[in-house]
Amino acid sequence: MTTSNGSETVFQSVAVDNVSMPAAHSPPPHEGFNHEDGTGAGVATPGGATARARLRDAAAAAAALAAGRLSRTMRAGGGSSLPGVLVESLSPGFIARRAARLADGVVAVSGTNGKTTTASMIRVILRQEGLSTVGNESGANLKRGIATALVDARSNATVGVFEVDEAALVSLMPALRPRLVVLTNMFRDQLDRFGEVERVAELLRGACERLPDDGYVIANVDDPLLWHTVEGFRRIGFGVRRPSVSPTSGAGSPGIDPGAEPTPCPRCGAPLNYEERTIGHLGVVRCTRCSMRSATPDYEARVLIRDGLRSIVLDVAGVPLTLSTGGLHNAYNAAAAIAAAGVLGISPTRSVTALESFRPRFGRAEELQANGRPVWLALMKNPAAAAALIPEIAEDPRVGAVVVSVNDLVADGRDISWIWDVDFERLATAGVPLIPSGTRAPDVAVRLKYAGADPLPASRAPADAIRAATDACPPGKQAVVMATYTAMLDIRRAFLGDRAVRLLDVRS
Amino acid sequence: MTGIGPGMGGPDLIIAHLYPDLLRTYGDRGNLITLVRRAEWRGFSVRVVGVTRDERIPARANLVLIGGGSDRLQAIVGPDLVARRPELEELTAHDAVIFGICGGYQLLGDFYVAADGRSMPGLGMLDITTGPGKGRIIGRVRAQATLYGDTFECVGFENHGGRTLLRTSSATPLASVPHGQGNNGADGTEGAVQGNVVGTYLHGPVLPATPAFADALLRRALAPRTKGAPLEPLNDRLEEEAHALARTLRR
Ligand SMILES: [Zn+2]
Repeated sequence: MTTSNGSETVFQSVAVDNVSMPAAHSPPPHEGFNHEDGTGAGVATPGGATARARLRDAAAAAAALAAGRLSRTMRAGGGSSLPGVLVESLSPGFIARRAARLADGVVAVSGTNGKTTTASMIRVILRQEGLSTVGNESGANLKRGIATALVDARSNATVGVFEVDEAALVSLMPALRPRLVVLTNMFRDQLDRFGEVERVAELLRGACERLPDDGYVIANVDDPLLWHTVEGFRRIGFGVRRPSVSPTSGAGSPGIDPGAEPTPCPRCGAPLNYEERTIGHLGVVRCTRCSMRSATPDYEARVLIRDGLRSIVLDVAGVPLTLSTGGLHNAYNAAAAIAAAGVLGISPTRSVTALESFRPRFGRAEELQANGRPVWLALMKNPAAAAALIPEIAEDPRVGAVVVSVNDLVADGRDISWIWDVDFERLATAGVPLIPSGTRAPDVAVRLKYAGADPLPASRAPADAIRAATDACPPGKQAVVMATYTAMLDIRRAFLGDRAVRLLDVRS
Repeated sequence: MTGIGPGMGGPDLIIAHLYPDLLRTYGDRGNLITLVRRAEWRGFSVRVVGVTRDERIPARANLVLIGGGSDRLQAIVGPDLVARRPELEELTAHDAVIFGICGGYQLLGDFYVAADGRSMPGLGMLDITTGPGKGRIIGRVRAQATLYGDTFECVGFENHGGRTLLRTSSATPLASVPHGQGNNGADGTEGAVQGNVVGTYLHGPVLPATPAFADALLRRALAPRTKGAPLEPLNDRLEEEAHALARTLRR
């Protein structure tokens, strides 16, 4: 969304009004989505929670909410997931029982990139259909974040759309019992956390095995290993096609296909040939040895017009869609959301109408005002996200300066070697001033130097870097900030409305 | 060009990057970029040739770079790489340098026993063996290295399950590790050097923030052209800042 008030999100969580009267709402059992309490609490019966468990859930939710409010008031760290932590310890099995009350079921969105945006798009579509949704809109995607969302849920919510961490999905399947699992992609994310992409594939496969018999997997057909991973399940594919492919290799960059993951054929290990490449290892492939080749997507987003990070025009099933958030990665997110909605019985035409009003949030290509200049923020959470952003930024003539802000806290991934897999050579050819920033600003400076750029002095503090960028930015052009997760948090903290901008103005 | 006569045609430095499509974890590409740029900035012409399975390494390659990969990818390239021993020995006989990182380092050794107990033969160009160990060795490393007469401090990141032992005195440790686990977490060594074959576990990538390491490799690889003359110094202010920062990071 385009606002200078960085703390707001598009969908405000709604104050809970039903926790004191839990028995008032007892949705009818929904076929196929009732289940036993998988958490071993031993109080639930098929068809719903017992009154006793429900009372305990209500009391626990009320206590958790109060604690959450207190924590926020006291500005204690980690307040946002505190209710979830408390409620599951006060009332084990809470997630399972509350999820079972969602009459229209649960959609789980997982994968490396695009979870938050895809889940958000699905909610927008469902809401347009008049459904009341619950979801972890803050992006807290572990068990506690999902429990917190259920504590905060509206009393009339009938459908849950949750983004779920890839490693947490398997263990949450029995409690959430999703009708749909949407898998966006499998990029190298934080190797120091997961080890290898093959391990992520195993985790996701394990999760799919726990789908109910009438459940579906919605997966990216352009991700060869992911599509192979969901073979044998009831799967629906989505993909993105570009009519004209521009060469994407960075001029003067040694090596091959920057940003691409190593992709041997998932079936036989032979190299894959790309007929078309979209982002990193995503694309249309054919094995050089066996018969493996990319499937035709059931839901295809065809790119009509690209306009940098600002917008992208797609054709989805013959319906044009203008997304107010650019980049091929958002074409994938939209295709995934439209596919999920399609399986839930909502036509692409209806979904497109809903997505036309979709606005990006939390650093996913949003705009702030700094020093009287518009500044675009783009989250660069891993090589794939950066690979998607760089061509958009490098090709956009409106871009006048770029801040590259890399932190190495746990949430960013402590290992930052991925900056060498990203095609900063391409960014260097844009010829605009580049400002290294973040806790690892010196490493970014070296990376940009070896990419062929002459970076401006590093500014570790993001506010200083943004000032340097707006100073270096020619009139009429925009500064862009590419930042890792906690670097983005730092930036938003520095730009909380006019007050923060003024603070910035008096600093130097 | 630093006082070197006109070349015999062709680039001054040919770098063969082995399995660029498969062995490229942890920013290994950064080592390649660093070697290329630091040679180019000194006026040497450089050609990079990606060599994957069933392709030949250029006969005039001066530097062969082998990165790391997952166990699955390593198993895919292993047989192809091991079959290249005559090709690689021919190159080292003509003073080419072979530089392996992590998986590439392990494959340069005699054999490698994977976590599941399967044994894979290596190239046998470094007198090292690698076996499984308890848990992975993960963390940041500072290592005191000596390579071809240069001493320098390496900063990097280690992440490996294998434990490597140097078997004979033909292979000498590349470095000692006061901060980190290194080859095996027991003997305080990290990496190995045997003639023109160099291996290390250090990712990071290691060369961008340790330019002296890159230059030691370059000087050796360029020796046929420069007669081993010292390389022209470069302005390494940014690299030194990154190195200094890396020294302060907790493991
Ligand atoms: Zn195949």
